[in-house]
Amino acid sequence: MNNDKNFQPQFFEDLLAEPMNCLIETSAEQGKIPIGYTCSYVPDVLLSVDPLIPVRVRAPGVPGTEIADIYLSSVMCSYTRSVLEMAMDDRYQFLQGWVFAASCDHMRRLYDNMKYLNQPELIHILDVPHRQGDASLAWFTDELNLLVDRLSSHHPVRFTQDSLSRAITEHNEFFALLASIGELRKQKYPPLTGTEFQALTLASLVAPRQFMLPKLQAFKESLSGRNGISNFRARLLIVGGQMDNLGYIRTIESSGGLVVADHFCTGSIPGMTPISMNGDPIRDIAAHYLDRISCPRMMEAFDARVEEIMKSIEAYRVDGVVVEFIKFCDTWGIESGLLAGALRKKGIPVLCIEREYMLTGEGQIKTRIQAFFESMGK
Amino acid sequence: MKHKLINYAVYCQYRAVTWMKIIPFVLRHGLYDTVRDLRRYPWLWAMLKVNRLLKKFGKGRTPRYQRASYILISGIVSGVIEMLGNYFFRPDRLIVHEDMIPPEIFKAMGLTTFMAELNGIMLPMIEPHAMEQYIDESENQGVPPDICSLPKSTMGLFLKGETPPAKAIVTSNLPCDAGMSSYTLIEQKLNLPTFRLDIPYHFKGDRALNYFAGELKRMISWLEENTPGKMDWDRLREICEERNRMAELEMELWDLARIRPAPIAGEAIWLSHMWYFNLMPGSPEATGIFRKILALGKQNLAEGVSAVKNEKYRALLWNPPLIHFIDLFNWAEDAYGVSLIMDSMSFNRLPFIDTTSQAAMLEGLGRIIMNGPMARHTRGPAENYMDDIFYIHKQFDLDMLWVAGHIGCKNTQALNGILREKCREAGLPLLIIDYDLSDPRIVPREGIISQIDHFMENIMKTKRLNQKAGSTGE
Repeated sequence: MNNDKNFQPQFFEDLLAEPMNCLIETSAEQGKIPIGYTCSYVPDVLLSVDPLIPVRVRAPGVPGTEIADIYLSSVMCSYTRSVLEMAMDDRYQFLQGWVFAASCDHMRRLYDNMKYLNQPELIHILDVPHRQGDASLAWFTDELNLLVDRLSSHHPVRFTQDSLSRAITEHNEFFALLASIGELRKQKYPPLTGTEFQALTLASLVAPRQFMLPKLQAFKESLSGRNGISNFRARLLIVGGQMDNLGYIRTIESSGGLVVADHFCTGSIPGMTPISMNGDPIRDIAAHYLDRISCPRMMEAFDARVEEIMKSIEAYRVDGVVVEFIKFCDTWGIESGLLAGALRKKGIPVLCIEREYMLTGEGQIKTRIQAFFESMGK
Repeated sequence: MKHKLINYAVYCQYRAVTWMKIIPFVLRHGLYDTVRDLRRYPWLWAMLKVNRLLKKFGKGRTPRYQRASYILISGIVSGVIEMLGNYFFRPDRLIVHEDMIPPEIFKAMGLTTFMAELNGIMLPMIEPHAMEQYIDESENQGVPPDICSLPKSTMGLFLKGETPPAKAIVTSNLPCDAGMSSYTLIEQKLNLPTFRLDIPYHFKGDRALNYFAGELKRMISWLEENTPGKMDWDRLREICEERNRMAELEMELWDLARIRPAPIAGEAIWLSHMWYFNLMPGSPEATGIFRKILALGKQNLAEGVSAVKNEKYRALLWNPPLIHFIDLFNWAEDAYGVSLIMDSMSFNRLPFIDTTSQAAMLEGLGRIIMNGPMARHTRGPAENYMDDIFYIHKQFDLDMLWVAGHIGCKNTQALNGILREKCREAGLPLLIIDYDLSDPRIVPREGIISQIDHFMENIMKTKRLNQKAGSTGE
């Protein structure tokens, strides 16, 4: 099935080293149009309609946020500050459009400042309702139709029933493959680490899927020859917001943990569930993304989030939960304490970690993780 | 000397008037119950001292300006007593609601309300340190310190169990992430049926209006199912019509404030709006207060009297007022001749409600909520924020912009960079006061005064009018 005999898993990590990667470059040379997006509530599947390619905006290696702080202030989440800093350093010149979601205060203000400072030719913000229901779905469907109009007025892309259905099918196939790799982590001795799996998921968010698909297939095949991992102290589930730096999970795993499930917005749960097709592709896409309840911005879904996490705890044989969030994130800041309380009531050990976007305080994280294992008797 | 004596006599008069409102409440509630509730709800001590605001707002003011402030405070005392009465005498109809949802519909449904954020807003005005224990309670229970201190105060109040028993909670996704998320905690703590309104970010145009009117209908149905309230559309019409009358008077008040020097300013403009439009819209008493304040302003105008004795500068205050230094402008009037003319919480462009049909009323209320200051500016797109500032600058002939730079308000902190550049372009002197909304431990009164002194001396190139006031401003 796969002819790439020299394939190495390190390939995925290499794609994450810079905002722009070699696969985007190749695609752009072939006439594809990279569109950046910053939040899981932006339907990347819409940005996959040929010749568009979706690129989840990251800020790897950002040296600091001195200039961004002048505009966004130092009390905003460091993801948004890092993105603005890199944007002002012209590191996203390869993007031919930006799509934001008015998902939280920080994202909205990142959009405002990007618009003011960088003035991209195509910049759009989606108004994502904060609750589910028929009216919200109708609203969000309208929002996606507006986005579609905006994209097609700027770029040579046609959003037809066929092109949208094809994009959904390809999206479902791609993520089914990725999810099947993720499912392997349910095994007693999983064949891959959490760091490896995060590299796959992140690479899938920043690289064109047509190039990623064979690489993922090759990786999956390579797993069959591996022995399961058994030298870990505890199986962990990570819950939280944007985490696109491999360093955090690597640090956790270097302390003896094995991350077997990821309930964060750049993770696999619930991001890889297939999009149902019921005849109106835009509405189907709207329903799929609006039904994501993993972010506390969905104001009515706290109990549902706890329930989903409990299901994953059971399915992935989780010993403990790490709730992580970027400092200054208000929704996760309040949610984390509540979530920890709710899970502890159910007898689940929980560790809350407030962190920065870029990897900092590794030593502290290691110490806290080790203490967490000890508190679990592991 | 004569002016000081008259000033003091008026103060004593209103002090007596307001005590005559507070004492009957205590007597009606009964001494035993009052003592019990003072123990159960310790914040009640501070709330019952609401007439202390008289001391903060009247000092050294011109006679009609002083009287306008006192009429307002006296009205607020009545309002506080009425609200406390609702908590204690009509608990069967009490709902907790978030401050971004005006109470017109609740009142029309015969429900009484506990605006959850009110304590966090009112108490620091009366006693600057009042909310510290509640902020600490939130942080002790895991709420991060960087969260806005108003929701932290509110959550602390609920976490301490110091809120009257209610039937339901009504909240929304406004005004910010912290405000919205605080209700997850409150809901978990109270375990009450909870309704949440979803207010669109793209709130302009018919699509948003239809969506949000639908949300209000959903809220009414939910309240009818989950509380004893029943919608009385005629009552809602009365409330909206009375509110419209109050809005007409307010616009006249604003017209007065546009005149240089302004015959009316300060609390008579901002606090009257904050209290009556948010807490008591549609009551004839509220309209009466506006009428009296307006009459005093008109008398000043007719006689060519400026509200502020030496109005040298006219200021726009952006963001919620500095509640633990609530007499800031009383101080600034005296120290620098700065007259507060307009503020972001009062300014709005859609004051009236069409009462010709049920749908029109819901749309009118919907427009007002969606265009509310925290929806329009704090959470809304940057264009709203900037456009309104520079519109008000011209419309009200202002000399400076003071931004109450609350460290916990990420939405507005993240616009300061753009604002600085826009102000430079427009030649509008800008002061961003670094402080925390509800927690004076972050930047105390003296720290705020020091920032203002630096601004006035270095940017406005002016000295204090009252040097003997000293560095603390006392």
